[in-house]
Amino acid sequence: METLDKLKILADAAKYDVSCSSSGSTRKNKKGGVGNAHTSGICHSWSDDGRCISLLKILFTNYCIYDCAYCVNRATNDLPRAAFTPDEVVKLTINFYRRNYIEGLFLSSAIYKSPNYTMELLLQTVKKLREEWKFNGYIHLKAIPGADQTLIERAGEYVDRMSVNIELPSTNGLRLLAPQKKRESIIKPMGLITSKIFQNIENKRKFKFSPSFVPAGQSTQLIVGATRDNDMNILTLSEALYKQFKLKRVYYSAYIPIASHPNLPSISGPPLLREHRIYQADWLLRFYGFKAKELLDIENPNFDEDLDPKCCWAVRNIHLFPVEVNRVDYQMLLRVPGIGMKSAKRIITARRSSNLNYEDLKKIGVVLKRAKYFITCKGKFYGIKDMREDTVKRSLIMGNIKRKNINDGEQLTIFSLYPSLILPMEENMTKITGEL
Amino acid sequence: MLYYIYDGSFDGLLTCIYEAYYRKEIPEKIVSKEDYQGNLLSREIHIDTNDEKAKRVYDSIKNKISKQSLENVFYTYLAEIPDLEIWIYKYLKLGWKIGRSIDLNLTDDRVLKIHKTRLSVDRERHRMLGLIRFRLLDENIYYAPFEPQFNIVGLIAPHFAERLSDQNWIIHDVKRGIGAVYNKEEWIIRDIDLKKDMEYGDEEIRYQKLWKEYFKSIAIKNRINPRLQKSNMPMKYWRYLVEKN
Repeated sequence: METLDKLKILADAAKYDVSCSSSGSTRKNKKGGVGNAHTSGICHSWSDDGRCISLLKILFTNYCIYDCAYCVNRATNDLPRAAFTPDEVVKLTINFYRRNYIEGLFLSSAIYKSPNYTMELLLQTVKKLREEWKFNGYIHLKAIPGADQTLIERAGEYVDRMSVNIELPSTNGLRLLAPQKKRESIIKPMGLITSKIFQNIENKRKFKFSPSFVPAGQSTQLIVGATRDNDMNILTLSEALYKQFKLKRVYYSAYIPIASHPNLPSISGPPLLREHRIYQADWLLRFYGFKAKELLDIENPNFDEDLDPKCCWAVRNIHLFPVEVNRVDYQMLLRVPGIGMKSAKRIITARRSSNLNYEDLKKIGVVLKRAKYFITCKGKFYGIKDMREDTVKRSLIMGNIKRKNINDGEQLTIFSLYPSLILPMEENMTKITGEL
Repeated sequence: MLYYIYDGSFDGLLTCIYEAYYRKEIPEKIVSKEDYQGNLLSREIHIDTNDEKAKRVYDSIKNKISKQSLENVFYTYLAEIPDLEIWIYKYLKLGWKIGRSIDLNLTDDRVLKIHKTRLSVDRERHRMLGLIRFRLLDENIYYAPFEPQFNIVGLIAPHFAERLSDQNWIIHDVKRGIGAVYNKEEWIIRDIDLKKDMEYGDEEIRYQKLWKEYFKSIAIKNRINPRLQKSNMPMKYWRYLVEKN
């Protein structure tokens, strides 16, 4: 089979892996070598679905011994199969890299013959790239669950990032959709990589020269909407992964209906809005100092479709607001809707030289449409008089809709996005906007 | 109305600032020769670029304000947006007044203008690190044409000198007729004037085809989103992208 045909099949098979980041590694180029890593990562293109292309993302092979119901490469699925050789992967990577198409390689694989056999092939490929071809660009390698510990450890010395995909957030989901996989076989290699990373950090402190081990850290992926798990299950799991396994990233992928199976939900399209809300919450966990239990609880186990998680939190805790921008501390600034990390930092910087008023905040880049309900500037409040949970919430949602209206010029699409709005709020809306 | 007219170089701009200070004048506008169109009401002064005067301003910015400010000013200059010279002048005047804390005044219009422009230039620079596409020519040279909005070829060359250090390469800014040329040891910026169309060998065509195929296969059909794609990768850059042609 031609490389072109293989690439077609094996890129197509890899596309549901969402990880694309190429950041976090500072690998340098050596004399006579090719490539280096860029700390903040570089995106090289954006495909037609709008997702960035940073790494050459391919499967080594899509021949698989497993038969997981949610997966496009399951053994019983009738689709064209192919397998690369290590040399083919190496040549593709180097030649794409030299033309600046890519930032590096993301190599994953279905389980061919046995986990060990597959892991061996992956190891061989990355070893060849690093040692024979002196490639110093970014490599992200999948650790194959069930593979031998030593194989995973050796691979970790060559690559920048490793990942093991959890895919299904609960044991229950795993039993229904991937009965051949065991939870332990997924968690075990994750734990192994984490402990090796820590050991390596320790070694670097002690010894002058110590080979690096997965310097850009570990990541994983969860499927959203293939099982009955609610958002709270997913988010608590992510929180635990960040805390206990010190993962760099948890990726979420909206379940795309690719197969029909009695245990799978039947939906027309991927739950993109839900995926988006979970990503927003993920950012709140990692950068904004939120805890999962603050964002969701047993009474509200799923995110609001109409309002982002931060706004929801602020509205539920309206008694904490408004806060004075010129005095409140950084941690609290971060919790104000409409103020992100950048604008919070800018506010802290700018207020060292002068007191900030409402206009200044606009210049700094605060989204006042949302922030105005929660702040005062020099003691002055610009929100609404009636500071109750439901009134503020309604105003925030109305703000979103007005913007959408101007952009799209189509009311119908908006209401299909926010169907829950129409019935209970019909009266209020006419009152507020006058024209609807 | 007092107009300073300079030759368009960075040193020329710094010389203008030097002259304004020592002649105790406040120019209304600082315009490059190319952009200047005569004006009946204006009094024009042609400023000759002087390396020594420029050097003194350069050092003064670095020492009396900050290295950061110097960088801000240089990036803003590279944006090549008309009327920005006078903003640079105003920004620097403020800088000499209040010193290195100038960049904390995020709500001052002069600072804001410079910071915003610098950010746009920086953003394009970073974007181009990814969007440049090299084509292998027969002479074993990797050639990358592009048309950036700002004059950033000198800002991206160091990145590739480190990354692709064992290749001969040329990054060609087609719009400005200049380019960075690297010979496995060092890079320089020079004028480039190419008449003929490039011809590529079989290998180059093969890899372009592979890349296009990859680009097509990696998109998820259920999630097609051209608006998102265009906002991340503006169409003005598509002309030189292998995968988009």
